[in-house]
This record gives sequence, structure tokens and C-alpha cells, in this order.
Amino acid sequence: MKFHWFAEVTYPELPLEPRPGHSTWVTPDWKLVDPVKVGETYRMFIRLMQQADRDGFDGLAVNEHHQTPFAMTPSPNLLAASLASSTEDAAILIIGDSLALYNPPQRIAEEMAYLDCVSGGRVIAGFVFGTPMDSVFAYGNPPVELRERFHEARKLILRAWEEDKPFAHNGKYNQLRYVNVWPKPIQKRPPIWVPGSGSVETWDLVIEENYCYGHLSFSGLYSAKPMVDAYWEYCAKKGGDMNPHRMAFTQLICCANTDKEAEEKYYEGVKFFYQSNMIDPGFVAPPGYTSIKSAQAMAARVKASPLLKPEDRVRAARGQMSFWEYDEKGYIVAGTPERVAQRVRELAKDLRIGQLIACLHMGNLPEDVAAMNTHLVGTRVIPQLRDLWADQPDHWTPEISQKRMAAKAATKVAAQ
Amino acid sequence: MKVTKENIAGIEVRVWRGGKGAPLLYLHGFEGHPGSAPFLEALCERFEVCAPEAPGFGQSDGLENLHDLLDMSLHQRALIESWGRGPVDLIGHSLGGMFAAELAAIAPHLVRRLVLVDSFGLWLDAAPLPDPFTQTPDALAKLKWHDTANAAKEPTAFDAATDNKATFRTINLSAATKFLWPLPDRGLARRAKYISAPALIVHGESDGLIPARYSDELAKLIPGARVKRIRDAGHYPMIEQEAAFLDAVLTFLG
Repeated sequence: MKFHWFAEVTYPELPLEPRPGHSTWVTPDWKLVDPVKVGETYRMFIRLMQQADRDGFDGLAVNEHHQTPFAMTPSPNLLAASLASSTEDAAILIIGDSLALYNPPQRIAEEMAYLDCVSGGRVIAGFVFGTPMDSVFAYGNPPVELRERFHEARKLILRAWEEDKPFAHNGKYNQLRYVNVWPKPIQKRPPIWVPGSGSVETWDLVIEENYCYGHLSFSGLYSAKPMVDAYWEYCAKKGGDMNPHRMAFTQLICCANTDKEAEEKYYEGVKFFYQSNMIDPGFVAPPGYTSIKSAQAMAARVKASPLLKPEDRVRAARGQMSFWEYDEKGYIVAGTPERVAQRVRELAKDLRIGQLIACLHMGNLPEDVAAMNTHLVGTRVIPQLRDLWADQPDHWTPEISQKRMAAKAATKVAAQ
Repeated sequence: MKVTKENIAGIEVRVWRGGKGAPLLYLHGFEGHPGSAPFLEALCERFEVCAPEAPGFGQSDGLENLHDLLDMSLHQRALIESWGRGPVDLIGHSLGGMFAAELAAIAPHLVRRLVLVDSFGLWLDAAPLPDPFTQTPDALAKLKWHDTANAAKEPTAFDAATDNKATFRTINLSAATKFLWPLPDRGLARRAKYISAPALIVHGESDGLIPARYSDELAKLIPGARVKRIRDAGHYPMIEQEAAFLDAVLTFLG
């Protein structure tokens, strides 16, 4: 199976004492933040991801969020640009660009192509709808238009990569007389990932187009299981490709030399991570963001989940669980490399996941701890799990990265 | 009033009809159609009332075929034309007020007199409107009503036999976002000068969603318009002060 290094670029010094009416999304108070510290935080993440490339990760994942100290990455392409020219092997997993927010959308076709050229063909093109906070509140799209805008942009981008002659695009939201993007990607069409939160419309899309789907939550196995099981069941029913490599999942991992060390070093960062993700209820579910059909299907699935109680979710979000309770309830996978490898194996088999987006920095974790986490997972966890799904082809990561990772592994074996 | 499904130029909408007299078209607000509301029944005593449900709301479809406000105005124009009784007196409430003002600007020959009730359509930087879509139920009630006890009187087109309680409100508000998100301004301030029908701006004095200065501004922009304030009423003066509302409207429509 494949491992992609990821972290939300969280501002590490936000005061988190409960303040009525405060949301860390859309309307957070900039006065609480120092831009110099923001810059240092960006540089730290670039260093950690460069290390992940050396330590054997298959991909470096960057994402897009707006107006929040929880994830200060307004353009994932900017962070990806820092990595594309300063790393060698790992895929650049852009997960993803919020297609509805770029006008005109060939900006995405251009920037992803630029990144693919600079990185030597290592880009994974993630296309996302964006959270309600990002796409409809921060960027002002009427929620009922979001899906249409997404699909118009998606089709335009794919056509722009494919066509070798200029063409006109007469869409509902974009009109362009001469589409002729420059440059075009080295991979003619980079692998495409579309994460979702359980909308059946997205399931139909990824099954029909054979994209990699992703369930990108930070609530772990038990929270995800009803949704992911339902997805695979739906996929089987529709005759879709059941290859685990076309399913991505995010998981917080806290690896240390002993279980005791894990608790000592990560507990504060884990609590800070969950507490700094405070969303005003008014921003969670704007009318029209989810279709009625999907909302009904999702409500039915939540009811069917016996594994995680609603009060558990509240306590996790408020930082009120003990370190090992976070682990037990699936929010984090913590402990020695052996324990982490065993639990990731169970998780990956249980959810049928071939692409693990491993969150190895969380909240206000110090850089040296994240570096240790990266090194332990890269050198002692990942090698234990390479056998998983090895019998199935992976069409959803760039070929060049797969070749280089294989060569690197062979060199290591030869050296031993 | 009787409700039926009607096909208006390819879009199926529900239309409530009732009464006899001069033709009156009523366009509902952003939260949805009020059904056979008492104030509509009262208007039926003097007028032949037609109160369509806007595309995308309730059980009416076709929002996907309306790209913008012009498409909505043309849909409403087609509705009046198929009715065959224009020009009509036109009352628009809230989001329906925004539609009514646009229609009066685009199709002046079809609008005899215009009444805009606590209408959306403008944005004033000096007095930003609250976001109607992010409020908790309690906060929204405080913005909407002069007296939140009146919330119980709010009429609705909800039909327990056919509508789903969990999704009914979402369906209505989703459609409203098409025209009110992120700001309820689609250019009415530029186009209001084309309105030639005599216009009355009715405003519930306690409306927290549309403050009084928005009504004043609308009256400035629409040639000859005047404002009638209704005391002890919020966003729904026709519910909270039905008698005063009807008196103001009937006096104006003559």
C-alpha cells in the first residue's frame, strides 16, 4: 500500500480557551496571529515534507482551505511549487484544488501542468468541491451552483490537457474563446482523485470515471466505517473497480519508540489539533451544498453507525479525551512502529484502503517530534506494510514515482 | 384558494388561485410559499389572486433551467401572459419583492401597480444586512419577528401528505441561495429607474433582516415610490399586523 505525508498547516499559537461565538473558520480574528510566525510555520512544513521524500513516502499531500488558522493553505499549488523543485521521488499529491473557486478554471490546468513539468511528472490531480466554509462562505458561491461549477471546471481542465489545438468553451459559468493551456503536463493526464464526504453524486462520478475516491476526515476508522463500507458496497453493485488503490483515507499517526513516549510527546498536539478546528454551526451545512438525495442517504448512514457515539465526537472535538481514548476510538493511531503498523494494517484491510494519507504533524506539535514521526513511519512502519495490496496494480499514483520508489527499495535491500 | 400544478413555458410550478375581481399576482419570500394564508384569502375578497411558487421551491421544479434573475423574470412574464389578465397588480414579499421589482422594470406593460414588502434586492455598505442563512433558529426568529410569539402563526405550503419534514426547509432555502447568496444584490439599484408602475414600499418597522433604511433607499431608486411603515411588525407584516397590512395595500391598490 501507499503512504502520503500530510498535515494541516495549523497556526500553532492560537489561544484556544473557549470564547463564545468564536469560530476558527470563515470569521477568525486575525489579531490573534503573527504573520512572522505564519511564515516560520510554512517553512517548517516544507522542511518536513522534504524529509518525507527522503524517508520513503510515496506522496506529499497538500490541500486547500481558506480563512482559517486550522489550515493556512489558501493555494495548495503554492506549497506544491515549493516541493516540486526541492524533492526527488515522491508524488506531489494536490488534494486538491477547489475547482469551483477558480475563474477561469484553466488556471488550475495551467498550474497543475506547471507543477507536473517542474516535478518531472509527479503530480496527482486532486479535484475537490471544497468545504462549505471554503467554497460558499469564504468564496461566496451560491451553494446550489457549486456542483455545476465543479463539473464544468473539471471537464474544461481535462479537455484543456487533452486537446492539442485551441478550442472554444461555451459553458454556463465560463465562456472562453481560445482555450490553449500552456504548459501541458508531462503525464498526459495525471492521476485524478476526488475526495468526498459521502454524496452519492460523487460516488457515481468516481465509479464512472475510475478516479481515486477519498474519505478525508480526521475522525478515524469507526467514524468512517459506515460511509466507506456503503461506498464499496455501492461500487460493487455498480460494477465499479474494487481495487483498493482507488481509495484514500486520512489518519492521524503518532509514532514513537515506546507507547509511553508517544503519549508524552503527542498528546498536547492532538488536543490542539482538534480544538483548533472550531466551526460555527451556521457554517457547517448551508442549504443546497448537499443534494436532498445525498443528505437523506447520509442521515441514514449516521444513524446506522453504532461504533462512535455523538457524545464521543463532541468530546474529541473539545480535547476532552485521554490520549489512549483518542487512540481507542480511532481518532489517532499511536505507539511503537510495530503497534502502528499492525493497527494501520487492520484499518486498511477493514476499509479496503490502498492510499493512506498519514497526518504526521498535528496542531502545535514541535518540529523535532514531527521529524521523528516522519522518520519512524517512513523507515519502520511503511516497509512492514508494502506487501498489502501488492498483488493489485496502482493506476492512481504517477508512474515515475512508483518506479523511483521501487528502485530506492531495491537499493536498500542490496545494501543490507 | 385552490392549488394546482401548472406548466409555464416548460417549468412545472404550483400555483394557488382564488377570488374574483381585478388580477393580482403575489410572489412569496425566501423561506417559501405561505400556502392559502389568511392574508391571501383576504385579498381574494377583492381580487382574483394568483400566487405561484417560484421554481426550485417546495414542489416546483425548474431552477436548474434558470441561470439568473432575467430568466426568473421571463418565467414570471410567461406566467402572467398565460393567465391572460395582465396588466396585474403585483405584490412581492422579501425575495419575491426582489423578483417583483425586476419584473416591473423588465415588463412594465404587465404591471399596473407594484407593492414591495420588506424586499431584498439592495446592498448598502454602510448598513450590511445579517446573513439569513447562518442564523440559529432562535436568532433568525428574533430578526424576523417583532414578537417571536407570532412565529406560531407563520403560514406554510408544507403538505404533510407529500412533503418531507426534514428536507422541506432545505429545499426552499437552497433555491433562495441562487438569488440571495452571498449578497442579495443582483443589480436592482441600476435597474430600478426603469420601473414605471406606481410603487408602494411596505416595511415592518421591526424587521431585523431588512432594516428601515433599505426601504428608504428603494423608495429613492424607484421613481415616485413611497414608503408605508407598519408598526409592531417584522419581516412578515402581513402575518403580524394583517389588518394594517391589508389596509395599506388595499388603499394603495384602490
